[in-house]
Amino acid sequence: MDIVIYGFIQSVALLLMAFGFSLVYGVSRLPNFAHGALYVLTGFVAWAFVNRAGWPYPLAVVGALAVAGLAGLLLYQFVLKRIRGMEMSEVIASYAIGLAILEGLRWWGFRGGTHALPTVSDGVAFLFDVPVDHQRLLVVGVGAALLVGIWAYTRFSKAGLALRAIAQDERAAMMLGIDSDRTGMLAVALGSALAGLAAVVIFPLGSIVIEEGYKVLIYALAVCVVGGLGSWVGTVLASFLLGFAQYVTVAYGKPHYQMVVMLLAIVVTLVVRPSGLFGRQKSLEERV
Amino acid sequence: MLEVRELLVFYENMLALNNLTLRCAEGQVVGVFGANSAGKSTLMYAVSGILLDIAYKEKVRGGERITQFGEILYEGEPVGHLKAFQRARRGLVLCPERRRLFPECTVIENLKIGGYLATRAQVRETLEFVLELFPRLQELRRRQAGFLSGGEQQMVAIGRALMAQPRLLLLDEPLLGLAPSIQHDVMQAVPKIRSERGVTVIVAEQYARPVLPYVDYAYIVENGSTVLEGTRQELLDNPDVRAAYLGGMG
Repeated sequence: MDIVIYGFIQSVALLLMAFGFSLVYGVSRLPNFAHGALYVLTGFVAWAFVNRAGWPYPLAVVGALAVAGLAGLLLYQFVLKRIRGMEMSEVIASYAIGLAILEGLRWWGFRGGTHALPTVSDGVAFLFDVPVDHQRLLVVGVGAALLVGIWAYTRFSKAGLALRAIAQDERAAMMLGIDSDRTGMLAVALGSALAGLAAVVIFPLGSIVIEEGYKVLIYALAVCVVGGLGSWVGTVLASFLLGFAQYVTVAYGKPHYQMVVMLLAIVVTLVVRPSGLFGRQKSLEERV
Repeated sequence: MLEVRELLVFYENMLALNNLTLRCAEGQVVGVFGANSAGKSTLMYAVSGILLDIAYKEKVRGGERITQFGEILYEGEPVGHLKAFQRARRGLVLCPERRRLFPECTVIENLKIGGYLATRAQVRETLEFVLELFPRLQELRRRQAGFLSGGEQQMVAIGRALMAQPRLLLLDEPLLGLAPSIQHDVMQAVPKIRSERGVTVIVAEQYARPVLPYVDYAYIVENGSTVLEGTRQELLDNPDVRAAYLGGMG
């Protein structure tokens, strides 16, 4: 039962980490390699709002998410927009910015395991006799809320439908008056805020460290590559596949093999099935 | 409504449009006929602004150099510098070749995305018009657009373009790959779009025969220029046109 419950929690955590990356790539074909850095940045911003500015925790969370969204918006507006379409430059520029943010934070003094966000409650619940702390339940709750929220947003709101339109056929969307630059900006801002959302619910489980930024980026990449870049259904399924794989590795092997699982998953997917489990539906395209 | 003056488009050194001049008055249905590669689609992309995006993306990728000269006047104003979405906002909407539906969205979602620019009231009212225009779509509302037949997809594509509240609708090869009876269903929508929505329509098509009965005026394009133009009757009476584009009409 441990495996089912903790594997599930690990999977939802992965989904939270990866979803922002997947959303941005799906909509605007931009691989946002600053994703992990935005994750860590949000953690530290929330920490600073609580411990330096003395804000109440919920306000600090909202503030930190706003900062993350704004950071994404600026990243798009001043950098990514200008190099869109040049894949190599997109990767290098966004990764460079991610590095600058992470190492900048380290230089600024945010190092060591001394920074932590408070948990919502220290209580423990029992699910089928397995103890689960409340913070982990919150992770699952937020993950579920995220899925429902994104599902509703991309189905019932105009801006959300425009995101899906651009993701499927950018030019056809332009013909209908949808501005692909503005939609791209919205996607990157939203994706960054989602990285931040993952940070504020997952960081309270441990402490905020710079290295998490690199880890989250690799996890997000692994999930998206296995699921099929740009496929949201694939992202969800791959999160569960890799989440359980990771948990089994931790339970029966050693914790530091977790990263090996992820990297191996990337390599195997690229060799065996480069488009991932749910790569874009090629079969539909040629139907006349 | 639309005036294209001496439009020149190069793909690298290949001349796709050569001094093409074309005019379309408000409220008309105008046909543009020509063989494959005569330049019809390039004309449609140039008028709708998609060509600017194609040229930009090619440039960024280091691909083909696409250059464009000449003037495109829409409602009396030059629009050649405007991006495609800006032209769409002014009511200049392209329904593209091969339809380009959003395949993973349902029919109703495709139509709603088409209504991105429209107000809530316009969306409701136009949706009603579209479902009346193509009653078949009524029962396909919740189906995924990628799995529809060609004719059904074309109906969705035209409906989607109408949702964007066009004043000038460009239809690029709306009959491509459709059976004759379906071609008829699709073309029948054109006069209704004109009379009931007040939309001016330009139809580009390879074969004049199924389209000619519905147009007021038409151009024939060869090698990137218009080689012949006239009213429907003039073209029907022209022996060259009959031989080349209306084969078998005797």
